[in-house]
Amino acid sequence: MRPGPEADGEIVRAVLAGDRERYAQLVERYRDRYARYAARMLGSADAAEDAVQDAFVRAFDQLSQCKDPDKFVSWFFLILRNRCFAERRRNRTESSLEAAESVAAADRTDGGAEAGERRRALQLALMELTPDQREVFVLKHVEGLSYGEIAERLSTSVPSLKMRMHRAYDTLREQLREHK
Amino acid sequence: MSEHEFHPLVKQLLDGDITLADLPADLRAEGEEALRLLAAVDRSVVSVPAVTWRVMAGLEQRRRRVRPWLLAPALALAAALIVWILPAKPAAPALVTVRFVLAAPDAHEVSLAGTFNRWDSHATPLVRSGPTGVWTATLTLPAGQHQYAFVVDGVRWVPDPGAPAVDDGFGRRNSVLTL
Repeated sequence: MRPGPEADGEIVRAVLAGDRERYAQLVERYRDRYARYAARMLGSADAAEDAVQDAFVRAFDQLSQCKDPDKFVSWFFLILRNRCFAERRRNRTESSLEAAESVAAADRTDGGAEAGERRRALQLALMELTPDQREVFVLKHVEGLSYGEIAERLSTSVPSLKMRMHRAYDTLREQLREHK
Repeated sequence: MSEHEFHPLVKQLLDGDITLADLPADLRAEGEEALRLLAAVDRSVVSVPAVTWRVMAGLEQRRRRVRPWLLAPALALAAALIVWILPAKPAAPALVTVRFVLAAPDAHEVSLAGTFNRWDSHATPLVRSGPTGVWTATLTLPAGQHQYAFVVDGVRWVPDPGAPAVDDGFGRRNSVLTL
């Protein structure tokens, strides 16, 4: 029988014990999944790639501060999240249209022209949300997490997340109507 | 409620708490509009394969930057040993043919880096033999002691599981081959 994948905690402990190359396993395991989150948050696949890379390097540097190695990915997520929020603060002037097109061009894989146009319009509208609103939308509707899971990750309450999300729905509706 | 705001029941629909059939008839059209919005969500994967290489290369580069300082005492010792050995009559070392083997079924490329190729991770690639994921290379080396490691997919340095290993002084294990 083929052994299952090694737990994150075991890899983290091995890296901390000096086997640095094992860190590549964690990068391989999570890079694409979190690149999607970063791309939707930043509106650019290129910016997402840089953010994910920086977050992994930062996580390596601070690995000894990861209190629960078995929850490496939750801890890593917070590092990436901070990086994405900082990036948005730095680049407020960046054109949202440019950003949405960057994502659309980078990861378009299916659907016809009409579906592509709807996706592009939604990505554009997402960039008009506040980062907090965009994040909860991305985590629920792109990453497929429940409100409970998001609340746990972000250390907040479900009612507060729902309030953010419901405002996001209204803003998206307004933006998409204007786009028509 | 402004004209842009979804009805609270439609928001519940978007949250996945109720279905379209649960909405009263006068909210169905709004519910369908809301579902079209969700249908446009792009969940496609964003693939960033270069990140692994870039992260590991960056870490390795930082580690190597430290090496010259740490190596200085070792180099001085090596120079002293050479001076001490030189007066002896030089003899041509015997050559020994060695086969290196690593089982790495998931690897895309494997190479060998060691004292015999100046730790150049590109100099000595292994060849995958058959579908079992066993990689091999046969080298002819001078008799004596050699240190080495396998380099998997250009980033992962792996000691030989079938050979003794020593700490290289920088947190990594080097395999040791004595011929």
